[in-house]
Amino acid sequence: MRRIVILWLGLAVASVALGAAAAFETRATRLQAIRTVGIVSAIGEEMSLTQAGLTGLSNTGQTASISAWGLDELIVQQATRLLSGRFRVQAVSYRRAAFAAVRDSAVAPVNLLRSDPFKELVRSDVAPQGLDAYIVITRARSKLGNGRNVEGVGLAQYRTLLADYGLIHALYEVRVVDGKSFDVIEKRAAAPLDNTGTMRLAGPSGPVDETFDGPASSERLRAAIADLITRSLPVTLGDMHLIEGQ
Amino acid sequence: MKHFNEAAFDPAASAQQILLTAILAALGAIVAIPLAIPQSASAQTAFTLPAPPFEVPMLPSPSGGWTVMVGIGGESTPDFVGSKNSKFVPIPIFSIRRAGSIDQFRGPRDSASIALLDVGNFRAGPAFKYVSSRKSDKYAELTGLGDVKAAYELGGFVEYYPVDWLRLRSELRQGLGGHTGAVADVSADVIVPLIQRLTISAGPRFTWKSTKATAPYFGVDAVQAAASGLPMYDARGGAHSVGFGSQISYRINPQWEVHAYVEYEKLLGDAADSPLVKLRGSSNQTTVGLGASYSFDFRIR
Repeated sequence: MRRIVILWLGLAVASVALGAAAAFETRATRLQAIRTVGIVSAIGEEMSLTQAGLTGLSNTGQTASISAWGLDELIVQQATRLLSGRFRVQAVSYRRAAFAAVRDSAVAPVNLLRSDPFKELVRSDVAPQGLDAYIVITRARSKLGNGRNVEGVGLAQYRTLLADYGLIHALYEVRVVDGKSFDVIEKRAAAPLDNTGTMRLAGPSGPVDETFDGPASSERLRAAIADLITRSLPVTLGDMHLIEGQ
Repeated sequence: MKHFNEAAFDPAASAQQILLTAILAALGAIVAIPLAIPQSASAQTAFTLPAPPFEVPMLPSPSGGWTVMVGIGGESTPDFVGSKNSKFVPIPIFSIRRAGSIDQFRGPRDSASIALLDVGNFRAGPAFKYVSSRKSDKYAELTGLGDVKAAYELGGFVEYYPVDWLRLRSELRQGLGGHTGAVADVSADVIVPLIQRLTISAGPRFTWKSTKATAPYFGVDAVQAAASGLPMYDARGGAHSVGFGSQISYRINPQWEVHAYVEYEKLLGDAADSPLVKLRGSSNQTTVGLGASYSFDFRIR
C-alpha cells in the first residue's frame, strides 16, 4: 500500500515538473520567436508629490504635469537602443493617456483573475498592428511609509520627528504583449537600483540632496529622474531575458 | 537642513520650466520640502543564482533581485494565559521577498495575515493565528484540569491608517480544534519615526472572546474541580482583556535591524474571575520580546 502511495506521489511530482518545464518552454519559445517589436511608454506625463511619516491630518497627495520633460520619449529611445541588438524595433503610435489611465484593482485577486487591461488596449490602440510583440512600459506602484501609495514618477518626502528625508522615484513596469494573441508573455516591475537605503521603495529611487536646491533645480530633477530610468531599464530588460543581463 | 523651494526652479530656463514652476508654485507648501542627505548607497547583492530550469504556469518569473531576512528573537511570555509565571520562547525570524518590497508596520500581537484588499491607507484580508495546546502535566497549577488541544483561529482583519502614523486594526477569528469560539481583537498604534532608522510605536489593545473561546481555558467542571481542588466555575464570554503595547525598532544599517517590544494585558470578566487565575495565577499578563535580523540580497538570472 505504501509503495503505491509513493508511486502515485512520484508520478504527481513528475507531472508537475514536466508541466512546469513545458510552461517554461512555452514562455522562452515565445520570446525567442519574436523578431519585430514596438515600444509603448506611458509613465511620464505627471509627477506625484507625496508626504509620508509624521504628516498632518489633511495631508493629501498632489501631482504636477511633467509632459514637457519628454520622459516617455526618452524611455522609447533608450529601450529601442537596448533592444535593437536582438529585435527589429519599429516605431508605433498610440494614445498615451489611455495607457496612463489604466490602474490595478485594489483587490489583489481581481488582478490575478481578470484579463490584463493592457491586452485590449494594445489590440485597439496601437498602430501598426501585426508586429510580433509590443513592449509596454507603464507606471508601477509602491508603498511609502505605512499608509501611502506612490506610483510612477515623483518626489516624496518622509517626515520623522527629528529629520525629513526626500527622494525621487521612477516606478514602472514592463510587459511583453504578444502581437498576435495579445497575451502578456512577460511582466516585470523595475526593481530598486540598490537595496541599501533605510527608506525603501519597490522600484528605482534615489535620495534628494542639496544639489536639487538653487537655480535650474527643475532641470536637475529631470536629469535625476532620467538617470534612474536610464540605469534601471537595462537591468529590468535583462531580468526579463530580453537583452543580455547586466 | 536644506529646503527644497519652488522658487529655486529656474524660471528663465525655458517655457516648459516656467510652466512647471508655475504648477509647482501653485501646489504651495507641499513642494517646500525640507531635505536631508541620506546615507550613501551601493549595491549589496550577495550572490547570483542561475535561472531555474523551469517556471510555474501563472506565476511570475523568479528572475531578478530578492531580499532574504534571517534572525533570531525570543520572548518572555506567561506559561499559559492566566499564569503568574513566565517562560522564555525562542522565535526564529525568516522572510524572503522581492528586493524593494516594503516592510509594512506589524504589531507583536498581529495574526499572520495577507492584505488582499489594499488601497493605501485601508487594508483587509484573511488572518490566521495558531494557539498552542495547554498541557496540564507541564505546570503544577494546571494539575487536574486536563489538556486543551491546539487551536487554529481563522478569520479576517481590517486596518486603517487615518494618517501615516496611526494604525487602527481589528481582527475577527473563529477557532477550530482546542476551542471553537469567536475572538475579536481591536488595537491602535501610534507609530512615531524618530529618525529614518528608529521607530517607536505604542497603543491600547482590547480583546473580546465568546463563551466557547473562554470556557476551555478558564472554566472548571465537576470532574476538573474534583481533580484539581479548584471550585467549579462556569466561564462565559465577553470582554476578555484590555492592555497596552509598545515596540521599538532600530535599523543599525541596511543589513542589521534590532527590535524590542512589551505587551501588557489585564484579564477581564470571567477570565479574570476564574479560580485558575484568582487562586493560582494572575490577571496581569506581560510579554517582553526582542530580536535581531540580518538582511541580504541575491539575484536570480
